[in-house]
Amino acid sequence: MTGPARDNRSISPIFWLLFGAGGMLSALFGPGLILITGFFAPLGVGLPENFLSYDHALAFAQNPVGKLAVLVVVALFFWHGAERLFLTLKDMKAGPSLLLKLCTYGVAAVVTAAVIALLLAIGF
Amino acid sequence: MPDPAKKTIELRILRYQPGVDAAPSFGTFEVAGAENMSVLEALQTIKDTLDGSLSFRWSCRMAVCGSCGMMINGEPKLACSTFLRDLPPGPVTVEPLNNFPIERDLVISVGGFVKKIESIYPYIMPKEPKTVEQGPYRQTPAQLAAYESFSDCINCMLCYAACPQFGENPDFIGPGAMALLQRYNGDSRDAGRQKRLDTIHGENGVWSCTAVGICSEVCPKSVDPANAVNQNKTNSAFDFFLRFLRKE
Amino acid sequence: MNESRPYRRPAPKDWWAKAPYRAYTVREMSGLAVAGYGAVLFAGLYSLSQGPESWAAYVRFLQSPVSLLLHAALLAAVLYHVKTWFQILPKTMPKLILGRAPVAQRTITRVATIFAGACSLALVLITLGVAR
Repeated sequence: MTGPARDNRSISPIFWLLFGAGGMLSALFGPGLILITGFFAPLGVGLPENFLSYDHALAFAQNPVGKLAVLVVVALFFWHGAERLFLTLKDMKAGPSLLLKLCTYGVAAVVTAAVIALLLAIGF
Repeated sequence: MPDPAKKTIELRILRYQPGVDAAPSFGTFEVAGAENMSVLEALQTIKDTLDGSLSFRWSCRMAVCGSCGMMINGEPKLACSTFLRDLPPGPVTVEPLNNFPIERDLVISVGGFVKKIESIYPYIMPKEPKTVEQGPYRQTPAQLAAYESFSDCINCMLCYAACPQFGENPDFIGPGAMALLQRYNGDSRDAGRQKRLDTIHGENGVWSCTAVGICSEVCPKSVDPANAVNQNKTNSAFDFFLRFLRKE
Repeated sequence: MNESRPYRRPAPKDWWAKAPYRAYTVREMSGLAVAGYGAVLFAGLYSLSQGPESWAAYVRFLQSPVSLLLHAALLAAVLYHVKTWFQILPKTMPKLILGRAPVAQRTITRVATIFAGACSLALVLITLGVAR
């Protein structure tokens, strides 16, 4: 018994797993992160004066664990949004697939590379 | 007081006669005494008394055979279990299932769906076949529960009519065939998991699915095909990377 | 006999904007808020790399009413993402069998959502505690 001709293995799993990781990370910690960096820190609620100081922020970004946290959060959040935007633009037939991929996955890839470059530039 | 049993209900039915009509168009029928009829009974009344050329599929009249799926007021439904009294007042629109080629009137082409079902090895492939003397393959209630809902599928194709990605890509394996795949892959007596999984790694496999989820909402048997497709997206994604570690 | 001449009805191009698919499109759009918040953090990282003055400007932006409004909108959208994310979660995993029956998907959604709330709360409390 033969079915329809099987198509090649898709590379979608790569983007889907990045999307899933970003979706899970943002679902678990997104609201908490937004509360801290968007409200508590800038308004100085419950946090010391120097929390947002340059030295404090720099120390965080120079710490290897801090670097990893920044990379994982920023990159995965972009990959999550990229996958969802790509699929929606595809649903909307907004343009040729390659162009849509460049505007979504492409942006996420560039941002990921930029975060790595900035974290290295900031030093240890 | 008007007699409710004598109530007349208007049905707008999409008609298409191959070789005669260039494109489908609506025909209107008034069915008397339709208050307590199912949509299927109303169609049968039209065929018996108003227009014998009206074509539609049906068999069991009790939501078991899966033949009478059609769009009723724009939603995929079984005509036998949809009652006119439960629909909002006014004309009732009846169309063939969305996303399928129309053969004639409410009859759609099912050949593509049957091919998809054939493609996923829809039978148990035991690791070591037993002889009759060795007795039956045994299964605990918990092992049955792992796949039972997927075995309830009646192949009515309502899920395909609800799936926009199948509408975009007719080669997408789709929710119904994936429910059948999971019915066997989730069966403790089966050893064909990898073989079936290897049929769905492509864009026409699970990767056309974007988890819209309406397939499960329209399913008349609570099969939850969205669960079958999406847990196999997870399986296919892991297989993408773990295949290199697998011993053949 | 008539030969088979199947008629293909074209699917409407705007199905994604119509019920019942609209809710799905809105759900997918909530992913933009996740990426949008990522962009806010990325701007912070860039400002930090440019030195103290640039960083001070970023902090002033965070303190501005525009930023507070933006973060309120992002928070609302991300909370919607949290809600819908865990509604889909049970679809992406095998049936969870407890005893003889599958655990209801509603239960999985509820437990996971509460767990997520606890994660965010813990993150806030630990940050406030450590910073003190």
